[in-house]
Amino acid sequence: MILASLVKEIQNAFTEGAQIEKVQSLVKKALAESISPIEIMNTMRDGLATVGKKYEQGELFLSELIISGIMAQEVSNILRPYLQNSETEFLGKVVIGTVKGDIHDLGKNLVSMMLTSAGFQVIDLGVDVSQEKFVEAARGDKPEVVAMSCLLTSAMDEMKLIVPRLEEAGVRNRVKVLVGGRPITPDFAREIGADGYGKDAVDAVNVARTALKKAS
Amino acid sequence: MTTLEHKEPDCVPITELAIDPPHLERITQTQHGGEASIQTAVTADRRAEEAINGVTVLAYRKLGFEIIPCAFSSPDGWVSSRTSDGAPVDEWGRVISYDSRSMTWVPSGSIFSAPEQFDQFPFPDPHASGRTFGIEDMKKRIGDEIALAGLVKDPFACAWEIFNVTNFVRWLYERPNFVRHVIERIADFNVEMIKRLIDAQADLIVCDGDYAEKMGPLVPLNFFREVILPNLRRQADVAHKAGLKFIKHTDGNINPILHDLVSIVDGLHSIDPSASMDMGDLKRRYGDKLILMGNVSTDNLCRKSKQEIEQETKECIRTAAPGGGYILSSSNSWYSDAKLENCLAMVEIGRRYGRYPIHVN
Repeated sequence: MILASLVKEIQNAFTEGAQIEKVQSLVKKALAESISPIEIMNTMRDGLATVGKKYEQGELFLSELIISGIMAQEVSNILRPYLQNSETEFLGKVVIGTVKGDIHDLGKNLVSMMLTSAGFQVIDLGVDVSQEKFVEAARGDKPEVVAMSCLLTSAMDEMKLIVPRLEEAGVRNRVKVLVGGRPITPDFAREIGADGYGKDAVDAVNVARTALKKAS
Repeated sequence: MTTLEHKEPDCVPITELAIDPPHLERITQTQHGGEASIQTAVTADRRAEEAINGVTVLAYRKLGFEIIPCAFSSPDGWVSSRTSDGAPVDEWGRVISYDSRSMTWVPSGSIFSAPEQFDQFPFPDPHASGRTFGIEDMKKRIGDEIALAGLVKDPFACAWEIFNVTNFVRWLYERPNFVRHVIERIADFNVEMIKRLIDAQADLIVCDGDYAEKMGPLVPLNFFREVILPNLRRQADVAHKAGLKFIKHTDGNINPILHDLVSIVDGLHSIDPSASMDMGDLKRRYGDKLILMGNVSTDNLCRKSKQEIEQETKECIRTAAPGGGYILSSSNSWYSDAKLENCLAMVEIGRRYGRYPIHVN
């Protein structure tokens, strides 16, 4: 009973916008009570998913989404040593970047945070990322997902060129290509041959999960 | 300006809060090669400031714009500091990067990784000499021909950028008094700066900086009501005391805080159509209280056809112009990736259909 309520408290801490220290303390307490780190991780992800739904329904604000992502990162940091020898696996590996010609990173960073918190391994290529760098990462890091972001309309032209480059490099059939950002629309995503479109950071996680399910 | 008094002028005024230098050069068919930033002063090189002012005035005159924006300058002799990898840092501690496509400097990072670092950082002085260099130069060029809008950056939006979003949000929850204090200090700066802009003969004040994104306000409403909006009011009061209007720019869906904003500011810019901001609804509810400026989608200026922009502009005029109180403008600014033919089409439609009494089918 006590353990179940502790797990519930951790989940609620995300939706109630609790202080980071409180969440850290709850997690440490849960570990001390021998609650499995995987159960704690899953609880955190459930809490984050609830936050995401509430954000999309307009009940929570962007800052609350961001602080939940920060709390999730802190929880992950505490749990990491306990999980290293466990059987937990990443849901998938994602390479993400803002395309060349664009230096905006808020959306990309938020997506990275949400994907990491949801259980993906994220390799962030940064901003102003060339086609070559995306291709290199697809070859070398062997991700399941290549995710591209932009804020500027002008950068959409660059985004169009990346799927053909992945094809030329012979890696297109190994990855799911997901796109997002302010000017991006589902029609544009289809037009450029992307596999998915995320309308915001919360949706990006759902789209990544769906894309990987289709692949498996 | 008649429209600011909610009366019908001869014609709907038209302007933009910013036009990226590549467009300025195309419009004026000059090449001044300067770099600009409406978001922060990047240089105390007065010749560079004069150059960008010069091409801006030329462009605004050619377009027939009725309002021209101008921010305050950096102090005399100011030189930006640098990060360890050589990136320039502005007066507020924001790392700035040059975007060659738009020929503008944009904030891209922060030098602060802890609140204590900000407390030790030399805070900008609104009384430093040279602050009004740019606006005085602008006034000399335009005289009384074009209305002069003095620009300040909203304290909340400034703090959001100064600390990077992640740190701002983290400290908002872990160190709320610190964040409140920073916003108040920036508001103190703005209060003094607005006085100086007024002394430099600004005709109105525009407060730049976003409160919201597509889904809604960036932070919870209680923080708006306890911290952000009282500090906005302090700035608006300075403008009002001098008989000037105070217009607040913000992108995003501000419907949840609209009622609060109406009691503080005289006008709103952006009326962001990509974020559920309905111009018709605003005009109906607040048309006699709020100057409405914007609503021609910046995204559409980049993506849509000329004919679509013409229709969109006509609709904005039809909805918002009757009775006065409307300034035609895009919902943000003319980015370098906007199609210039679309931007010019917006202006052309404004001249054709913006004559009072308004007749738009």
